[in-house]
Amino acid sequence: MNNRLETFVKENRKAFDVMEPSAGLWAKIEQELDNKKKKKPIKLYLWMSAAAAIVVVFGLAWLYVGKLQNKDLEIADVSASYAKKEVHFAGLITEKRDSLAIFASANPELYKKFTADLKKLDEDYERLKAELPTSPNQTFVVKAMVKNREIQLQLLKQQLLIINQVDDYKRVNQI
Amino acid sequence: MQGSRAAQFELYKLYAKAMYNVALRILNYEEEAEDVLQEAFLDAFTRIVDFRQETTFGLWLKQIVINKSINYLRKRKMEFVSTDEISEVPDEDSFDDSEIRLQADEIRTAITELPDGYRVVLSLYLLEGYDHEEIAHILKISENTSRTQYMRAKKKLKSILEQKGMRDE
Repeated sequence: MNNRLETFVKENRKAFDVMEPSAGLWAKIEQELDNKKKKKPIKLYLWMSAAAAIVVVFGLAWLYVGKLQNKDLEIADVSASYAKKEVHFAGLITEKRDSLAIFASANPELYKKFTADLKKLDEDYERLKAELPTSPNQTFVVKAMVKNREIQLQLLKQQLLIINQVDDYKRVNQI
Repeated sequence: MQGSRAAQFELYKLYAKAMYNVALRILNYEEEAEDVLQEAFLDAFTRIVDFRQETTFGLWLKQIVINKSINYLRKRKMEFVSTDEISEVPDEDSFDDSEIRLQADEIRTAITELPDGYRVVLSLYLLEGYDHEEIAHILKISENTSRTQYMRAKKKLKSILEQKGMRDE
């Protein structure tokens, strides 16, 4: 075997690496390295914004779906008879509220007080309604809701009675 | 893990010249060799976390340089083998370089005069110290082709050197 060339190259290996890269090459590399370092935080920031956007979208979707589900569950879904009662009460309540509103201009302060009481009951009702889908005992919540309506109705009846009396008294005094 | 700029410069000073010569032997164009060198160092510095101490940094960097250089060559549509060359069996005995005066500079310039395919195989084997199995893997050719190419490259190199010798006398 003839490997004079191989041996020679091996022995004089250094003599073959004689060319030099241009002097400015390191500066170029350094510049590129700086560019890459600057790019990185921007990239991370972009990824984070994208992630945040996805979270927001999913969050909104979840809330929306949740709301839809909440809306779907009415008293009727739990108990038909209670639903009938509730509708009945609700109708009467609207009627009485309209009647009460007639006296509003004549007795603004009294009307304000009455509506505040009613508002509190209404809030209780909304709270119960919100609880309904997740409640372990839905019949219990529905009962409370109907009871709430009933109290509203009785309160309105009493308020009407009072406001009527006040109105009568005022009229008598005027004469 | 990024490493300081000073350490990076130290690595550059240590390896730039050798790597530049590796790239230049494969590519034969100084501009391309510098592009390869720049890309290779950038790659090495940004991927330094991937570097495991299985080899030295120098060998790892050399691999990057060679792969990049080969890719540049392929972009030039260079074929490492033409079909008629595959069938030929290497013929060691026919090669005799005993009469040639060997000088590093002359061999170096003679190598640059070799055709691309010959030059790459001969450089990888003779100067970068890869065996034919490794060259076959790097160039995606068969081991036998690598051997054939190397023998032919050596013959061609010899004839170039002989011509030069005659001119000198």
